[in-house]
Amino acid sequence: MYLLNLGLGELLGLAGAISAGIVALYLLDRSKRRQLVATLRFWSAADVRTDLKHRRRIQQPWSLLLQIVSILLLLLAVAGPRLGVDQESGRDHVLILDTSAWMGARTRQGTLMDEARSLARAYLRSLPGRDRVMIVRADALATPATAFESNRSVLEEAIRESQPSASALNLSQAFEFAQRAQKLQTQRVGEIVFAGAGRVPEEEAKLTAAPRNLRVLPVNATGENVGLRKIGLRRSPKMPDVWEIFVAVKNYGSRPHAVDLALQFGGAPVGSKHLSLAPGAEEQSSFTYRTKAAGDLEARILSQDKPARDAFPQDDRAVIELPSQQSLRVVVYSAEPQMLRPLIASNPQVDADFEPPARYDPQVKADIVVLDQFAPAVRPHADSIWIAPPAGKSPIPVRETRSKATLERWRPDTTLGAGLRSKDVEFDSAEIFSLSPNDIPVAEASDGALIVARPGTPKMVVIGFEPLGSQMKYELATPLMIENILRWMAPETFLRREVQAGTVGTVNVALDKGVDPARIRVITEDQRPLPFTVEGNTLRFFAGAPATVRVLTGDRENVYSLTLPDVAEAVWSAPQNVRHGIPRSQEENSPGTDLWPWLAVLGGAGLLIDWLLFGRSRAFRLRAAKMAASMALKRAAWRKAS
Amino acid sequence: MLEKLERLAIHWKKSLPGLVGGHNTSRFAGPGQEFLDHRHFHHGDDLRAVNWRVYLRLEKLFLKMFQLEPRIPVRMLVDTSRSMLTGADGSKFDYARKLAGALCYVGLVRLDSICLQPFSDKLADAFIASGGRHRFQPALNFLSALRAGGQTDFLEVAREFISTYPQQGLVIVISDFLDDGDCEKPLQYLSDFGHELILIQVFDPSDREPPWEGELDLEDAETGQHVELAFDSDARAEYTAAFDEYAQAIRRVALRNNGRYVSLPTNVPVDEAIFGPLVRSGAVE
Repeated sequence: MYLLNLGLGELLGLAGAISAGIVALYLLDRSKRRQLVATLRFWSAADVRTDLKHRRRIQQPWSLLLQIVSILLLLLAVAGPRLGVDQESGRDHVLILDTSAWMGARTRQGTLMDEARSLARAYLRSLPGRDRVMIVRADALATPATAFESNRSVLEEAIRESQPSASALNLSQAFEFAQRAQKLQTQRVGEIVFAGAGRVPEEEAKLTAAPRNLRVLPVNATGENVGLRKIGLRRSPKMPDVWEIFVAVKNYGSRPHAVDLALQFGGAPVGSKHLSLAPGAEEQSSFTYRTKAAGDLEARILSQDKPARDAFPQDDRAVIELPSQQSLRVVVYSAEPQMLRPLIASNPQVDADFEPPARYDPQVKADIVVLDQFAPAVRPHADSIWIAPPAGKSPIPVRETRSKATLERWRPDTTLGAGLRSKDVEFDSAEIFSLSPNDIPVAEASDGALIVARPGTPKMVVIGFEPLGSQMKYELATPLMIENILRWMAPETFLRREVQAGTVGTVNVALDKGVDPARIRVITEDQRPLPFTVEGNTLRFFAGAPATVRVLTGDRENVYSLTLPDVAEAVWSAPQNVRHGIPRSQEENSPGTDLWPWLAVLGGAGLLIDWLLFGRSRAFRLRAAKMAASMALKRAAWRKAS
Repeated sequence: MLEKLERLAIHWKKSLPGLVGGHNTSRFAGPGQEFLDHRHFHHGDDLRAVNWRVYLRLEKLFLKMFQLEPRIPVRMLVDTSRSMLTGADGSKFDYARKLAGALCYVGLVRLDSICLQPFSDKLADAFIASGGRHRFQPALNFLSALRAGGQTDFLEVAREFISTYPQQGLVIVISDFLDDGDCEKPLQYLSDFGHELILIQVFDPSDREPPWEGELDLEDAETGQHVELAFDSDARAEYTAAFDEYAQAIRRVALRNNGRYVSLPTNVPVDEAIFGPLVRSGAVE
């Protein structure tokens, strides 16, 4: 039966609503009409019936009943019920093909995917030719491979092209998609068929609300597997050229396994560990490796058992591309390099060269040039830090050179002044600068800026005093100020990098406190932004296919190499009442008989009868009754006379 | 429309006594222009009316008598009861006021003395207009200020009218005549006391032929009584027959007393009603 794809409950609800509407209209139609008239004398004189004072609310129940039954008959006629099986229109089935990562697991004859494909083809062959089927590939997302299609070659092609993906199966979403497709696009709802191993995450395994029209074509989901679960790498905070490496290995099987975990970087061994894993156990191993160079880090599991025993070798190996550790090249032109050396060269990410001012070269190959109390005729092409330049040659004009100047405040609202604090330091001599509109004051005396930054290309910072030739050399703010300046000039060098290899799907990233969500960027390898959400201190994004995703949050960069297949832990077991296996061939039986014309005729007749008996034709009915009565009287009089 | 109304005059049939100056002849002899008859001269008669030619021929004094054209009061009783507000937007009441205004203008143009007398269960304050068309505006203001209310009581109104207006005259009653009591007797009283009656029955089409059907809860506009009933086309025919019979009874009262009766549904425009049914009835000529 077909009625706008409504279920039985929805059909009954619709019938109830229509019945309620009819009752309401009936009561409205039969309700007394209030009317103001000039006089009542003619109404009583007209001898009209006035016997309705104590009537029930529903005055003509038979009329109401007849109307409701008639409307319901018409509604059923619209539903188009048939006796027997419909010969002409087939049923519409949805075939969910499990294309999760686990379907790539090896079996004796091939893979689980091969088994699922052959089951799906067998199911197709069992269906009558007029039945239509939609193929849906189900992994983390349910994706239709075809529309409802009766052409078997198209369907078999779609089955043949289905391949295991890298994500885990989201079964509830697949069922929901199939039900919705059947509800919206089908005329005769057929079966929802699931062909696959049903290997799902733990929370999906408890799924009990399976569709009522579900059929399961099971594929053996069990198999021994030990695989890499996750790999994490980060630069050591103390030694930036050292990588800290964390590797998680899990035993998905039902038996204990002993494996060797080996790491290589550019073909050279980094480290190895022997692991004994109990069933379902996950173990983490950590390594360190010192390198500044970029290259591929490979993690591999070597089973000590027979290699054929690992059903799923796809997660036995992972390769992560490590970025090189770039150092910041700084050239310092100073007559007193010993003063500045601890301030600049102590940073392990800085590669500093100290040269006398006489050897100044404006084309020097450096990321940053530091000019200590020295102003060259030609300004350097690189970013530059000017320390107490001569007043007449300062790149930012000196408004005044003052003796006994006091540094009164830092500007913590700027990137350069963030986190800087000091007591009021007095300088014997300091330069007060005149600011251009784009200049950023970093530290100020009472009547002007003592440190000024000028953005642009190249960037420039001018310090109007000698930090190490005054009381500032005792302040913690001095090295922090230099650090801030270097970070501002070369932020890429100071990025905190973490690299993680994980599985495809939803990724949660823990954010630092105070990170502005507006400054977060999540981008793929080809620099396309990826949608993400931020909830509290957690950032979430979803990758449906293997990809490398970069998450940039301020001075931190997380690189997610989502290339490991997501092997789910649990196996979904279908409820007992669900049909299993390939059905018998369903070639047709007896032709169906349309009932709707009869129902429509009955409904129409009911409404006509109601109209004749209770509707406006009451006058006709009364006149007929009167005529019949008068004829009976005449007949009686004639008999009397005769 | 006023220009057209100026061609008309309110006409009465009865010979009513009154001062000279009217426009309808009377059977009473008096100082008129038209010769009526001769009679013997009696002591005290006006010598100016003696026909001296006849005296020269017959040597007897005969007195010439002339037809009197008295000026008699025209009193318009305008129904202001609540029943006049029923129908489409109180059209009966408005219709009655327009009709009274038009007749008042006709009378004023002919220098008649017009008394506009509203009534419901008793007589309300009247307005007397006379002396020409320039007195029409106050009469119009009076009619505009009228408000409908109260029940109709023709018997009480007739009693009060007879005691208030002893001088016989023309009485034009503009009403729907929907009195729960009997209105034939009070109208007969008015006629018996020498008044000439022009009865104008104003009714809404729904008063005569209610358009509703089915279960009705009816409320009397004047008494507030309720009646619940079922109404169909048969009942409507019976209702209309009863209404027509009542209208005929009022008409009989008017004709029996040498008066006029006009039945006017409110869907007939006022000018058509005056130049149509009212002229045909002889109430205005």
